[in-house]
Amino acid sequence: MAGIQEADCVEIKVPCKPEYVGVVRLAILGVANRMGFSFDDVEDIRLAVGEVCAAAVERAKKNNRQNTDIVVRSCIADDRLTIDILDNAGRREELPADFNIDSDPRGIADLLITILVNEVNIIGNDEGTKVSLVKYAS
Amino acid sequence: MNFSVETYRLENGMPVVKLGGEVDVYTTPKMKEQLASLIESGSQRIAVDLSEVNYFDSTALGALIGALRRVKEQEGSILVIGAQPRVRRVFEVTGLDGVFEMYESADQASKL
Repeated sequence: MAGIQEADCVEIKVPCKPEYVGVVRLAILGVANRMGFSFDDVEDIRLAVGEVCAAAVERAKKNNRQNTDIVVRSCIADDRLTIDILDNAGRREELPADFNIDSDPRGIADLLITILVNEVNIIGNDEGTKVSLVKYAS
Repeated sequence: MNFSVETYRLENGMPVVKLGGEVDVYTTPKMKEQLASLIESGSQRIAVDLSEVNYFDSTALGALIGALRRVKEQEGSILVIGAQPRVRRVFEVTGLDGVFEMYESADQASKL
């Protein structure tokens, strides 16, 4: 069909616990390298995914949902890498519009993610969140 | 686990928390412990050596901010030493390079 590209997808599921975020970062490193991203872009992707997963882990701890999983699905297309990160860690807390990084470090992760990738889309409900990240190939 | 933490002192007596590897949501608590221990024992100016750190995320930054708030109550400060370009970038894009004193090396910090 016109406009739809075939993509190879890699999916990893890990417990929503701090010690597994590094595992996800390692897997994403492999996927991003597979696409031939520059070193800087690979590091950007690694950090962005790490931030999303870390936020899910923190939320799971706060909501007593450490027995849930994080699913990271990354799809490689010719012109982009799309990474969906799904959790069941509970509702994501929205930050006030006037948050100050110095007084509220939670905003640091959101700020970093928007800088590190080209597109960010977040869908959340009482159960959890789906964060979609897109990094364009150079 | 790709992480290490040790503490040493500069020639001027300033304590340094030297980190290695990845400082993230899993390993940051160990950094926090070291910083808290130094602050509770009376250190007001503390350096954090990031020269061997290759991953430093918002959890780690948040912990540094927390430590900075505590030492500022005693008019102290947190110095960041030797951040590699990728780690330094995290400080820069968040504007936190203007909040912490940033130095290229322990030598520079020891001259203070």
